[in-house]
Amino acid sequence: MTAAILDGLVLGLQFGLLGVGLTIVYGMGGVLNLAYGAMAVASAIVVSVAMRSGLPAVPAVALGILTGAALSLLLNVTIMRPVYRRRGDQRVLLSILLTIGVAFIINGYLVWKLPIEALSLSIGGDAISILGVPMRVGSLLASAITILAGVGLILFFRRTTAGKAVRSVIQDEVGARLCGINPASVRMLIFTLSGAIAGLVAVTRSMTSPVPVSEGFSLTILALLVTVVGGLGSVKGAMLAGLILGVVNALSSFYIGSYITTIVLLVAAALTILLRPSGLFGEYT
Amino acid sequence: MLEVRALDAGYNNKAVVNDVDIQVDDGEIVAIIGSNGAGKSTLLRSVCGLLPVLDGDVIYEGGSIANRPVYQISRAGIAFVPAERHLFPGMTVDENLTLGAYPKRPDSDRRALIFELFPRLGERKRQAAGTMSGGEQQMLAVARALMAIPKLLILDEPTTGIAPSLAVNTYQSIATLRDHGIAVLVAEQQVPLVLSIADRGYVLENGSIQLEGSAAELRDNPMVQKAYLGVA
Ligand SMILES: Nc1ncnc2c1ncn2[C@@H]1O[C@H](COP(=O)(O)OP(=O)(O)OP(=O)(O)O)[C@@H](O)[C@H]1O
Ligand SMILES: [Mg+2]
Repeated sequence: MTAAILDGLVLGLQFGLLGVGLTIVYGMGGVLNLAYGAMAVASAIVVSVAMRSGLPAVPAVALGILTGAALSLLLNVTIMRPVYRRRGDQRVLLSILLTIGVAFIINGYLVWKLPIEALSLSIGGDAISILGVPMRVGSLLASAITILAGVGLILFFRRTTAGKAVRSVIQDEVGARLCGINPASVRMLIFTLSGAIAGLVAVTRSMTSPVPVSEGFSLTILALLVTVVGGLGSVKGAMLAGLILGVVNALSSFYIGSYITTIVLLVAAALTILLRPSGLFGEYT
Repeated sequence: MLEVRALDAGYNNKAVVNDVDIQVDDGEIVAIIGSNGAGKSTLLRSVCGLLPVLDGDVIYEGGSIANRPVYQISRAGIAFVPAERHLFPGMTVDENLTLGAYPKRPDSDRRALIFELFPRLGERKRQAAGTMSGGEQQMLAVARALMAIPKLLILDEPTTGIAPSLAVNTYQSIATLRDHGIAVLVAEQQVPLVLSIADRGYVLENGSIQLEGSAAELRDNPMVQKAYLGVA
């Protein structure tokens, strides 16, 4: 039981950060990036290929995160342009359609060219005992990196002027423009950051379980669940939602079996929408 | 400093404001008065870039700003306080003010001036803007605009939702901005109030200027008295 909860927390931290990357883009411009998981996988595969060709782990990981950021930036300056010219429902729908297309392209390319590639960063060392449960070093390192990234992001959004500018566009775009903020450049920043987060999560995830080329869509769906439960556009909400869903996930695979876990997660998300339509924290955090 | 020339503005390419000429000189307080639906907000929004300029031009400090992006107009020194305020509801008073100064760092003298004009805000620096009363939010909206150290402050009905006694205070505060070299263009339906502090004014009805003159001329004008000052 304790072991399952600890495993759930490790997983949940990653779910949380994964959700953050998607939710900031949604909160920002009212667009959903369904190529998000595919971009994460593309980053992971870049790391894997780079390491196989002899690059040491740290620069390979940096290259992977850069790949995520670059892909996302590219998306923002190309197919997102017509999306931002639309408003409201049209904007969301168009973003969904176009990014699903991109997801298929990335996914199709990877499955075609590198069908059996998978990133698996095994971190050596003896297990460390936490609350009497032996935890693998990989899990602990992944969690530490994720916590650092999460705290870093929250500090960025709370403390820095750029972070405040981002939140201002999320809360009231007209108000932000009137304050001299250019929403287009803020969106560019957020999209790039989102891609870097996708890359980072793919890397930390591969420290506990392999990330194969086929993982894209399930990562996107996970990120969507976290976003919905956490409240659209809320960083704190996404982190908390990730932890909750991670623990739910671990407990349900522990007690019920992993085949039904996805359904349990969906039910948990559906319940949140019914009970708190704007998510755990609402929209303004 | 601001010259609106033969401006047409409206929605979906249909003008509701037609052929409007307006001028604001340095350090001047200029009022636009007119009844509901006259086109005051439409006019101000198009000057600030929130609505397209369909025809005519907007000249600011010698250059055209017509159809420039809102954020550029803001950075050029025009601060607009819309009637809907557009504050950042989930952020504190302090954060709203900081963003008002964007992209510059908040100026401490300016902050001090703001808390002098609106002591209420000084007591509530950590309160979320969305939880403040309507009147406090209005003060914050004006204060946020002032943080940009604008040369021209444009206000759309700054006393909506404010008790009459407080509305007088608001206009007294606005009047002091003259001493700080800030020009003000203000749309208002509370005609006696705004004419008590304005230098000049325009009467806008059905989308076009019906009358213009000094505040005193407008106050003494029989048509203005009949329509807006409740004089029979
Ligand atoms: N978003 C909009 N779309 C279409 N027409 C609009 C829109 N907003 C305002 N109008 C129309 O434009 C005209 C002028 O409206 P405007 O808001 O500029 O008047 P106003 O003088 O500011 O009035 P008030 O004192 O009530 O604020 C009105 O006929 C109004 O119906
Ligand atoms: Mg109006």
